Amino acid sequence: MNQEIDIQDRPKYINPYFGGVLLGLVLLITFYITGRGLGASGAVKSAVVTTVDKVAPDHAEQNTYMKAFITDDHSPMFNWLVFESFGIFIGGLLSGALFGRIKKLRIEKSPSITNKTRLFAAGIGGILFGIGSQFGRGCSSGAALSGTASSSFGGLLVMLLMFGTGYLVAYFFRKLWI
Amino acid sequence: MNKNYIILMGILILLAAGLLVLPLKNNSKQLDPEVLMWDIVQPTRYVSTDEVAKMIIEHDPLLVMVDVRSAEDFQLFSLTNAINFPLDSLALDDAKSALTFNKRNMVFYSNDDLKSDQAWVIAKRLGLKNIYVLKGGLNRWIQTIIQPEAPAETASEAEFNLYAFRQGASQYFTGGSISIDQSPQAEIVVSRKKKAKAAEGGC
Amino acid sequence: MGPLIPQGIIPMGWDFVIALLIGIAFGFVLEASGFSSSRNITGVFYGYNFVVLRVFFTAVVVAMIGLQYFDYFGWIDLNQIYVLPTFLSPMIVGAIIMGVGFVLGGFCPGTSYTAIAIGKIDAMVFTGGLFLGIFLFSEFFPFFEQFYYSGNMGSITIGEFFGISNNLVTLIFVVIAVIAFYVTWRIELRVRKNMTQYKF
Repeated sequence: MNQEIDIQDRPKYINPYFGGVLLGLVLLITFYITGRGLGASGAVKSAVVTTVDKVAPDHAEQNTYMKAFITDDHSPMFNWLVFESFGIFIGGLLSGALFGRIKKLRIEKSPSITNKTRLFAAGIGGILFGIGSQFGRGCSSGAALSGTASSSFGGLLVMLLMFGTGYLVAYFFRKLWI
Repeated sequence: MNKNYIILMGILILLAAGLLVLPLKNNSKQLDPEVLMWDIVQPTRYVSTDEVAKMIIEHDPLLVMVDVRSAEDFQLFSLTNAINFPLDSLALDDAKSALTFNKRNMVFYSNDDLKSDQAWVIAKRLGLKNIYVLKGGLNRWIQTIIQPEAPAETASEAEFNLYAFRQGASQYFTGGSISIDQSPQAEIVVSRKKKAKAAEGGC
Repeated sequence: MGPLIPQGIIPMGWDFVIALLIGIAFGFVLEASGFSSSRNITGVFYGYNFVVLRVFFTAVVVAMIGLQYFDYFGWIDLNQIYVLPTFLSPMIVGAIIMGVGFVLGGFCPGTSYTAIAIGKIDAMVFTGGLFLGIFLFSEFFPFFEQFYYSGNMGSITIGEFFGISNNLVTLIFVVIAVIAFYVTWRIELRVRKNMTQYKF
């Protein structure tokens, strides 16, 4: 592939350190205003509980894990993290529109694998992330980022182990990416 | 490597190192000594026994009587609905949260007004608001409310009125001839308010 | 002063409006930094793109230093900040599972939302998987309920765990971050030299 063209096609991302400072300030403001950090997987949890509660209310009521999130006065979707996650989506739209990255539906993958493989891996990855985030009390934003920023030992633990495991297994899945 | 990055990283390290060399901060938010001095010389912190008696009789919902004497003394005698908070326990960490009654008026009392004055100063430094001291303490209480002295014949009408009020109050508190049904002293349990709960997180 | 909402300075009714605004800022920064691309993200594991490490570490360090200074100046009460409680063994297991999921999926939940926004099908599948994973977890929760609550150490901070002050922890963190920035920059230069077919 031609290097010149590659450089011209390179998506315009902001300087990562600048992005980091911005993200740090967003996190700091979040702590200042709400007293807690950011999160993302909690919204999906609310969605799961809502769906199960709609489809099979008795079943949701019996489940010891979901029961805790069901109240009579409002839907589990009426939750801080759900609104925040919706904001993440809008923020992504804004930035994508600003930098011209919103294009037709597409799959991003290494040229050496098929679309099917990529989607399969993404699905499995999602499932694992879903299970892991429940055990870990949060995902990379809730536990690793916000947890570590608030000096939580658990947050540091999740961050180190998550990336550490990533490095350990990365070799076996290199075909997916390079 | 870009020189700008080296400068930025240097700033970052300096900021973090700055945290270590900052003088130890005074964690408890205490009152400025000058403000405290000003408040101490103000007589407004005192409430008279008559005022307190009136509030108790009228069941003033905003009144909280705080007995700063020892627990034994409190057992022997205390004012209606008072809570016991011995002076030494004011030094404890949770004293502030235990004594934070939302917008209620706290009146400290002891046998005289020495101990209660001390309690007032400590409470003031802890940043508590709406706090008062019962002028003359329980001694004055006994003299004026429980065993009021009749004014001289030549006294003014106001003094007679006061005497009449005190007699009534005396009967109220001692359960004298006018029998007012007084249930055994209801106790306010000092509900130690939990520290404001940290916000829930989650991902 | 702060945190504003737990202290009642901002009424609870504003909670959701603020949540939305914070989310927008969060999502914007994530997307603008390049987290909407899974190949960008996983570059951190193969050495060709360390954007994740740069953004992540800078953000943690900035927020950490900021919180400590805010506390020092009395603008925020650190006692009222939610410190993620530590459940030792479930967290270790969860982090390992997430690590594998990270390399396989190439996203984490927050970044997948922004990737959906710019039209990535793999991100939609990832979020679907997330939904399924949490559903499976809830369904089988009774089997590992005991394990889920085991190893509770409470809201312990890093400083408390190692017996040092959290200010020192922050400094150590900054030093590690700066070293990591330098080392990964060197690695990236070398790896990228041998890669031609990847657009950053």
